[in-house]
Amino acid sequence: MKKQGMILIVDDTEMNRSLLADMLSEDYEILEAANGVEAAAILHQRSEELSLVLLDIVMPEMDGFEVLALMNKNGWIGRIPVITISSETASTYIDHAYDLGATDYISRPFDEKNVQRRVRNTIMLYSKQKALEGMVTEQIVEKERNNFLMVEILSNIVEFRNGESGLHVLHIRTLTEIFLRKLQEITDRYPLTAARSALIVNASALHDVGKISIPEEILNKPGPLTPAEYEVMKTHCALGAQIMEDALLRHKEELLQVAYNICRWHHERYDGGGYPDGLRGEEIPVEAQVVALADVYDALTSTRVYKQAFPHGVAMRMIMGGECGVFNPLLLQCLRELGPRLDDELRLRSLNDVSEANIRELSTQAIAGSKVSNRTLTLLEQERTKYQFFASMSNEIQFEYSYQSDLLTLSEWGARQLGLNVLIEHPEQNGELHGVFLIADYLDLQGRLRRATPEKPIVSGTYCLNVKGERRWYKAVARPLWEGNGTEQAGVIGKFVDDHEEQLRLEQLRRMAEQDSLTRLNNHAAARRWIQMALAREDRSYAMVLFDLDNFKEANDRYGHMFGDEVLKHVARLVQKSVRGGDIAARIGGDEFLIFLEYSGGIEPVIRRIFDALHGEYQSFEILISMGIALSPENGTQYDAFFHAADQALYVAKKGGKDRYRFYDDSMQGVLSVLSPMDA
Amino acid sequence: MTTAECYALIGADYTEVLRRMGNEDRVRRFLLKFAEEPSYGLLCRSVEAGDAKEAFRAAHSIKGVCLNLGLTALYRSAGDLCEELRGGAFTDAVPGLLRRVGEDYQKTINGIRELAQA
Repeated sequence: MKKQGMILIVDDTEMNRSLLADMLSEDYEILEAANGVEAAAILHQRSEELSLVLLDIVMPEMDGFEVLALMNKNGWIGRIPVITISSETASTYIDHAYDLGATDYISRPFDEKNVQRRVRNTIMLYSKQKALEGMVTEQIVEKERNNFLMVEILSNIVEFRNGESGLHVLHIRTLTEIFLRKLQEITDRYPLTAARSALIVNASALHDVGKISIPEEILNKPGPLTPAEYEVMKTHCALGAQIMEDALLRHKEELLQVAYNICRWHHERYDGGGYPDGLRGEEIPVEAQVVALADVYDALTSTRVYKQAFPHGVAMRMIMGGECGVFNPLLLQCLRELGPRLDDELRLRSLNDVSEANIRELSTQAIAGSKVSNRTLTLLEQERTKYQFFASMSNEIQFEYSYQSDLLTLSEWGARQLGLNVLIEHPEQNGELHGVFLIADYLDLQGRLRRATPEKPIVSGTYCLNVKGERRWYKAVARPLWEGNGTEQAGVIGKFVDDHEEQLRLEQLRRMAEQDSLTRLNNHAAARRWIQMALAREDRSYAMVLFDLDNFKEANDRYGHMFGDEVLKHVARLVQKSVRGGDIAARIGGDEFLIFLEYSGGIEPVIRRIFDALHGEYQSFEILISMGIALSPENGTQYDAFFHAADQALYVAKKGGKDRYRFYDDSMQGVLSVLSPMDA
Repeated sequence: MTTAECYALIGADYTEVLRRMGNEDRVRRFLLKFAEEPSYGLLCRSVEAGDAKEAFRAAHSIKGVCLNLGLTALYRSAGDLCEELRGGAFTDAVPGLLRRVGEDYQKTINGIRELAQA
């Protein structure tokens, strides 16, 4: 059998040790020490392994008190429980041992069962405590949230059974919150902390919990209740209070106390004519007063099995006219001052509060199928809260989309950043959204998500968003969420991360890769790519101009390479100046340049102008050039042929005595080329 | 001779011991072991040597062991001696108490020896 821990028995009498060992060795590994000194030695070596110390007090060398003192000094006492054993029953002994941190004591004569039980309980208590310590922090944080969820689920069970709209609980919460806030505004008679107010709002959802014990046929009776049935119905207050009272026996929670007050007294009247206790005026706790008003207002403005919904105005008149009970004048003042805003706010919140709706859906599921345990719900809610928390902390635009509701939810920060609403219904048709995220891009991302598979779920892409009038690059990462069986997509989650700087950097790199480092003109490969793209378009006329410097070798030879480089840079500047925006200029070799331009009408004057512009002096070094020109489509529609023609024209120009330009013509076919054939 | 008969011979409550210790085998084993328990010898030697503290601890040990084994008579006399020695000095009452411990010890050991031989 597996041992459940290691116990150190410290007693100077061998017989006592072996008797204890005999009683415990079946379940535990036993170490023995005949006095305090031996015990100290073992503690020093094996304190990590020990689960418990059984310690005799009266011993030679070093007695039990001294061992306890040592265990305190070394911090072992907090982790290793000590049970003292002694035939000394004098309370001073026992007290002293407790003062020094002993957990329990066993007196002689040993009773096997007693010894075993105490040892087991103490070890369990300590290991539990250790585990608990780790959980306590988390628990404190989660307690409130769990309370909230518990309340939601419980109250929804009642709703469900009640067959009411399902919004009642949500309305009560909202109304209670609004009334409480207003009440604080107009009077300081009911000083409530924010925490207390939150508790009241939370507990308000539980006001009708007692109805869970009301027979179905009375609860859902479509017609008016008989006096006898009404009496049964009225018991729901006391029944609900009883539920809270029972719970209070087990958990001293402020929430439960508040819920008790609300459950029991939300049908009391300010004039003392209510039930179950006939409390009057301020005898009724303020939370019950507020919930009573919320309950009446919602009952009037909602459809019930026994009545139609009244409009806000009618409900107000009925309440003010005292037709629905007697309320605290201050609360009526709240109601009056809130007026029609109440109606708006109620509708607004009911629509927008997605999380509440989610919880309702979950709890309905739980009741209907009993498939989802409360634990699962709690975990779900925790995950959601965690997600929202981190979303609110991180500067990312996070989003969530549900196919079923066709609702796009943005993280708060994200929505603010983009200048959009947090909730976007029917995003595909939302103009505001597409002002930011182009419809083409939207459909692109949507398509890619549709095609994602559970094996390869992550989709990413770079999109340019229009953020408050500025176009910025974002990297989108998203994934679909599948229904349980993995065949149908239920929704999408993802985020947009500002990638603008990164994109600009890439752009820069791309440009650098395309540039000639000396002159900042395009390099040949880049020029070729651009030209190919241009040639692909039909019905256009292009000229390709190739030129080189007639005397560049001289510049290098006479003034050195540095000077030669400066000459090239100078020529590049001249080229830049002489071409238009859409033209392409490139340095394609040592002193060889390319200009590609679109033209219409006569080309000769254009070439003449460029040829002239490139002439001149650089620091008294005279720049002379030879130039060959080919035209497209006449001399070629594909890059290679086109380039080759211009190259041959350049060869002919050089052959003809330099410092001139020549257009390609058919006579040049077969002549050599100046430039090493790049693509031949 | 059974363990129960031995307890009867010594003048101690077997039923109670059996309940606490859980089974007869354990009671018997530890009862037999008592014959080799060194505390009585230690008590005698420390009294001869005039070491009252050591004598106190020895008497205390005898008292504890006897309590566990339900050896009532010896537990009482050892307990009385123990209390007398707690002050750390040999008082006038000590020799008398010591003699009683000796008598009870002999009686107990005799009973145990009979059990061992049976």
